Amino acid sequence: MSIIRRMSNLFLRSRVDREIDAELQSHIDLRTDENVACGMSPEAARRDALVRFGSRAATQEKVAAADTALGLDRFWFDLRYAARQLRRSPGFTITAVLTLTLGIGSNTAVFSSMDAVVLRPLAVPHLDRVVTLFEQQDRGTSDQTTLANYADWLRESTSFENLAAYSAADMSMTGSGDPTRVSVALTSPNFFQMMRADAFLGRIFADSEARPGRDAVAVLNYGFWQRRFGADATICGRKVELDQRSYTVIGVMPKTMQYPAAIDLFVPLAPTAQQLSDRKNRNYFVIGRLRDGVTLKQAQAEMRTIGERLAKDYPATNAGWSVRVEPLLARINGEWTPMYYRLIMGATLFVLLVVCANVANLQLARGVSRRSEIAMRSALGATRWRIVRQLLTENILLALIGSFGGVIFAAAYLHILVISMPQRIIRYIPGWSNTSLNGRALLFSLGLAALAGLASGFTPALEALRVRPLEQLKAGGRSSTGSRGSRLRSLFAVSQIALAVALVIGAALISKGMFSLLHIADAYQPDKVLTYSITLPDSRYDTPQKKAAWYADSLEKLRALPGASHAEVTTALPHSDDGWVRDCEIENRPTIPGKYQSARQISVSPGYFDALHIAIVSGRNFNQGDSLDSVPVALISRRLADLYFGDQNPIGHRIRMGGRDSHDSWVTIVGIAEETTYDLWLDTQAPVVYLNMAQHPSEWATFTIFTEGNPLALAAPARKAVATIDAALPLDGQMTWRQNLNESLTGLMYSAGMLGLDALIALLLSAIGIFGVMANLVGERTREIGVRVAMGATRQSVLALVLRRASWLTAAGIGTGLVMAFFLARMVAHLLRGVRPDDPLVFITITLVLAAVALGSSWIPARRAARIDPMQALRSE
Amino acid sequence: MAKNDLQGTLDLLILKTLDQNGVLHGYGIVLHIQSASNDLLRVEEGSLYPALHRMEQSGWIASEWAMTETNRRAKYYKLTAEGRRQLERAQESFDQLVKGVRAVLRFA
Repeated sequence: MSIIRRMSNLFLRSRVDREIDAELQSHIDLRTDENVACGMSPEAARRDALVRFGSRAATQEKVAAADTALGLDRFWFDLRYAARQLRRSPGFTITAVLTLTLGIGSNTAVFSSMDAVVLRPLAVPHLDRVVTLFEQQDRGTSDQTTLANYADWLRESTSFENLAAYSAADMSMTGSGDPTRVSVALTSPNFFQMMRADAFLGRIFADSEARPGRDAVAVLNYGFWQRRFGADATICGRKVELDQRSYTVIGVMPKTMQYPAAIDLFVPLAPTAQQLSDRKNRNYFVIGRLRDGVTLKQAQAEMRTIGERLAKDYPATNAGWSVRVEPLLARINGEWTPMYYRLIMGATLFVLLVVCANVANLQLARGVSRRSEIAMRSALGATRWRIVRQLLTENILLALIGSFGGVIFAAAYLHILVISMPQRIIRYIPGWSNTSLNGRALLFSLGLAALAGLASGFTPALEALRVRPLEQLKAGGRSSTGSRGSRLRSLFAVSQIALAVALVIGAALISKGMFSLLHIADAYQPDKVLTYSITLPDSRYDTPQKKAAWYADSLEKLRALPGASHAEVTTALPHSDDGWVRDCEIENRPTIPGKYQSARQISVSPGYFDALHIAIVSGRNFNQGDSLDSVPVALISRRLADLYFGDQNPIGHRIRMGGRDSHDSWVTIVGIAEETTYDLWLDTQAPVVYLNMAQHPSEWATFTIFTEGNPLALAAPARKAVATIDAALPLDGQMTWRQNLNESLTGLMYSAGMLGLDALIALLLSAIGIFGVMANLVGERTREIGVRVAMGATRQSVLALVLRRASWLTAAGIGTGLVMAFFLARMVAHLLRGVRPDDPLVFITITLVLAAVALGSSWIPARRAARIDPMQALRSE
Repeated sequence: MAKNDLQGTLDLLILKTLDQNGVLHGYGIVLHIQSASNDLLRVEEGSLYPALHRMEQSGWIASEWAMTETNRRAKYYKLTAEGRRQLERAQESFDQLVKGVRAVLRFA
């Protein structure tokens, strides 16, 4: 490799110098010898040789430079030449750089976000070797297991370096500020070792702290430490109270270890002997790290064998359960997030492709006027490869400037992305707050720039190769490269318009769908409702009586608040996705085997139906007479009556939730309520069984306070009122119902926003694309148009001539785009609720907008054509 | 352009000289070009040696120290395979240049 030789020459300069010196000296000596042989005196011979040689120092310097040049001089030359060429056509340069900035910038931003959320949500070494283990029953799944099973897995398996177990619990934290609900992970001490994560502050658990009585220590999650303790660096040693028990904070985990998602703090899992032998309660998550060299398949095979043996040994609890091993990453990401990201990344990359086509297109348009320049250069001895390299350098320079702009664009984009995401949601997305323009993203954008430069320079370079210097020089810069080039350009323009049509229609459909989702609950006037949720801790509310009493008391207090028209409690609000869908059974009516009867179980206070204007279609509403001492009653939704009772009147029948082995009590149906939707995403709704909160008080519930005024003004009074009953009980997420709904739609809004940006860029590109083609067309046909005008063609007919051509291109693009949009819409409608694939309004509006943009951008070249002065056009020959 | 072009011509002359003579030192190249062109072309030492070194770095020629007939140490150059290919390219490009320049001159 000559480049390596030259580089080593750089470092061995003195040796190189000595050698050159010797070579030059030998040259002088040889001439001296010859002079002497010709009869000169040695003195004269030497002088003559030196004089002929000229400046020896200068030559020595030049030779050394040749040895150490690295070939960079030529590259610099190309670069300077490219910069000069670009400066000479600022319109082209600015357009190309701006489109490249948008293309590369949006790709860099989407990649960074995907990198942080999907590819590396946790900064854990070799995240791909971390797996989750869970049990699966024949029907349905579970993502947990029992402690006794965990102990057996730990003892018998050889595939794993380490297996850790944890369970999650909600506790109330008191003793520092307002009581709060916190999510706690009770982890075995080896959890952090398995993750290979160390504390950011303080320390992680010691093995000895996994014993009951010594486990009163806590490690905080980074986000929680910031939110709750203002990132207090002296937090270690502080006492906090969890469910009335005192814990000492011993450490804080780093920001990049947000797992399990939404966990606020960790405490040691300190199981009692009884818990350790428990094979019934599947409450524990198991997570492990594969030993080096063990594949996921091998681990899965080993665990299947162990699971089968356990099922044989403990048929009562383990029969029918098998063990599954899955990568942790798949568990963190779930099914939908990677798919949304792939969709967006794909669309964005596609946009970049169009950006490249566009720059190539503009280059081709410029190429017409550059043919003479290229011909001149090749006549002066530039090789073809050199000319191609020159053009590619120019494009890569453009792309590099574009990627510089793109990185700035991406940084701004990501900043907006991160700061606009509500804190409450970030907790659930490990990796979101790690989003940053890191080295990988910068590398990615540089790679894109190089690719974009090559891709957009390729066609113009090929065009340049077809320039025949001789003919070009003879023709004086008039000849065209023929119809092939212009066909290619037209194809670019058509595909750009097509893509813009498809993307803009897709994005418009999604925004429209999203808009309809934002207004899904408008009938309930969610702006006038204050919501918050509570969880009654088991330790203090261990009987239904205590819970029911607390609900009754707090509803009474809330209803007395000035301005509150209704105060109700429920376990699920419409469109909240809350509430359990459980198997249900109707008394004296055997279920058809293989067919499952299920319903969403919701406990509500009696005034719930009134407050939400849900009509009772027949029978009666709950009333104050229903209590824990009276007959348990239920209302069912109209759909449930239709589905499971047919023509029969359901009122008076008894129903039981929880399937065949249920310990729930039978409840008597007393009324039928109008259908209400509790799902947010799915179109298929489960029928509903409403229970009375006074008879089935739940551990967790959402309160709703209806008012005519500003609901947030009721937040503080409500907090105070509830505190008079139980001061240690936290109210979670006090906000209006509207805010609550919007938060659950955040992810969708992000996807829609990113697609919308792609669509906007595509629209802009299609305008530039058709402008480039038409400007080029007018440029190439200047002489022809001049002749036409000279022969008496009017300005209008020239205008029409150009616009007719533009209309053809536009029509072809829109036609193709509509077909693509049709399929895209079907796909999107499948993915997102509320998107109607056959929305004629969107299709027609977007088509008109696109047509207007395309024709509008060909207006400038058309006007220029109409203004061509025939005399000048002909004289320029 | 012009400078590049002249350099290209010098390269062509050196390549051709080495192609015809096999192994030569710098001084020998100077002498050969001078005599082969009937004294029309004189290569400056100040251009020759930088050109030789540049061409060696590009892999077109290879060098070796050896003794001359007069028992002096000198650096000898010879063509490589890549250099042979470059010679063909340079010859072709030179022919093109001559043709192009002629065409322009005819038209002027």
